[in-house]
Amino acid sequence: MSLASSARSPIKIGMWLLLAPLCLWLLLLIILPHLELLTFSITDPEQGGFTFSFYAEFFTEPLYWRTFVRTALMSILATILTLLIAFPVSFFIAKMIKGRSKGIIFAMCLIPFWVSELVRTFGWMILLRESGVISNTLMWLGLTDSGVELLYTDATIMLGLVYSAMLFMVVPLVSTLDSLDDSYIEAGYDLGGNNWNIMREIIIPHAMPGIVSGCIIVFMLSLGNYLTPVLLGGKDSLWFTEQIYTQFITRFNWEQGSAFGILLLLLSSLIVWAGLKVTRQSFTKTMG
Amino acid sequence: MPIDTPIDLACENICKYFSDFTAVDNVSFTIPKGSFFSILGPSGCGKTTLLRMLAGFEQPSSGDILIKQQSMLDVPPNKRPVNMVFQHLALFPTMNIEQNIGYGLRRQGVAKAEITQRVNAVLERVGLSGSGQKDVNQLSGGQRQRIALARCLVLNPTLLLLDEPLGALDLKLREQMKIELKQLQKEFGTTFVYITHDQSEALVMSDQIAVMNKGQFEQVGTPHELYYQPKTAFVASFVGDSNRWSGQLKNIEDDTLQIETQDGLLLQGISSNDTTPANSDVLDIFVRPEAIHVSLSAANNSADNQLCCEVETILFDGAKSQIIAKDKKTGGSITAAMPQTGDFMNLQKGDTLYFSFSREQTLCFTREHSAGGQ
Repeated sequence: MSLASSARSPIKIGMWLLLAPLCLWLLLLIILPHLELLTFSITDPEQGGFTFSFYAEFFTEPLYWRTFVRTALMSILATILTLLIAFPVSFFIAKMIKGRSKGIIFAMCLIPFWVSELVRTFGWMILLRESGVISNTLMWLGLTDSGVELLYTDATIMLGLVYSAMLFMVVPLVSTLDSLDDSYIEAGYDLGGNNWNIMREIIIPHAMPGIVSGCIIVFMLSLGNYLTPVLLGGKDSLWFTEQIYTQFITRFNWEQGSAFGILLLLLSSLIVWAGLKVTRQSFTKTMG
Repeated sequence: MPIDTPIDLACENICKYFSDFTAVDNVSFTIPKGSFFSILGPSGCGKTTLLRMLAGFEQPSSGDILIKQQSMLDVPPNKRPVNMVFQHLALFPTMNIEQNIGYGLRRQGVAKAEITQRVNAVLERVGLSGSGQKDVNQLSGGQRQRIALARCLVLNPTLLLLDEPLGALDLKLREQMKIELKQLQKEFGTTFVYITHDQSEALVMSDQIAVMNKGQFEQVGTPHELYYQPKTAFVASFVGDSNRWSGQLKNIEDDTLQIETQDGLLLQGISSNDTTPANSDVLDIFVRPEAIHVSLSAANNSADNQLCCEVETILFDGAKSQIIAKDKKTGGSITAAMPQTGDFMNLQKGDTLYFSFSREQTLCFTREHSAGGQ
């Protein structure tokens, strides 16, 4: 008995050492800041003591909660659009092409992400602004007389969000679709299925974990995105992260900013939870 | 096989070329209704390509596939009266057993109540009634096999294709499934096309076997014919076990060939392919270990080949034990099946044994100039 426990203890130490970076990361960068945010958000800055007023502010001031609802709806739409575009791309990469070209096309999806998000967004701005490439081309073709401003609309924000999140949908989808043996698809045809119902009954159920995890990542990234909405949407983009930024930096209202931060976390988790319930997926299954 | 049995499948001069090699080379055959037809061959011989052409997943480069006299060349896989049991079965893991079996019926637009009834009926016939609600991974290997069969048979296909479905099972289960498969085929009366590299599976189950090598059929016949009257050296070596020698023809008397093998054995045999060999031709000679009569004392039979041998090695494998022995006169080595009678229980290395076998059991094949080929 004593022999067994002494043999086990080095393994335990090793395990803790391996876990240490993860634990430190979680504790120092996630848990502690959030605890601090939580304390800020429920402390009255003048008298000290407990207050809910900063949370009440969110629900009583229409600008705040409407901005949140708008952000959430736009993010959901961005997630759906990303899925619709990424699924055929992933299916093509995983199932239609073989060998070397597969790696090349996959790498081509990756390459834009070697450039920082800021630079990529500026790239879009160069294309879309009033004196930009597209506008000038249209004028040169004689389709318009004056320059067209393509920036600072909701559609532009959507474009930027879908573009910057695409990779995070393609990667999980390619890996789940890759794991689907071709014989399942062939068996579907063999038993009389056509393209549509093989997609619906065999391929999509199999790819569901990848779809769900891709959607969660893309939704969270869009919801928490600051750069793209602000640069492509301009001042009136009304993105919730922008409100948090304003509270912290412009207004120096750290308590209000903290309350918004906590609310963003809670509400986005709620939306993901609801999404999982609706699609009848479990979180552990999709991440496992 | 009665002549008036309708033909379910006819393949006419099928060829399939891939960019740099020929997978299937001018294969023609017919399969009568209700029979169990096996295609036996080593891996890479083209049998899977042939099966995939029957299923419709590959298009033949030339030739025609006729099912019930209807050409199938322009018919996509989902419209052919053919179903396939895949090598790894391909039961859909996201559906339960009932949904798996019902998949094909739902595609045909069969009414819900009828689907339930037909699924239950086929489950009962394969002996798994009541497991419709189970998940695929709750079943054992043998049960999954039966579900894969049921999923195809519920559609009443003209032709059922099986792509080495027993390959993934362990030995005991495989033996059992062989018998079960044959039984199910008889009960349903469906025409089976079964491909395998395992000669025992083919011999046990089939009515007809085609032995395939390098994209061509070497011989088509009943299991009995393939085992006793192989027409080519490849068939003789692939079906069943054999002593295999190469030797030179010394003399021909009537139809008896006298041969000297490379390690010196002097044997008498008969020519098994149609060509008559000439003196000093190189021949391939096959004698089955189980065809050799083994005795402890000089045999008093009139067999054409009599050898006095010394035991070199005993390969003990229960009922399939073999004796490897050396001919005392010439030093040539020969393998014989060990008789399972008490006399041989104490056999040891160095013991003397008398081997005898007839010339009809010594099959000789003239080697063609393209060695080992066509």
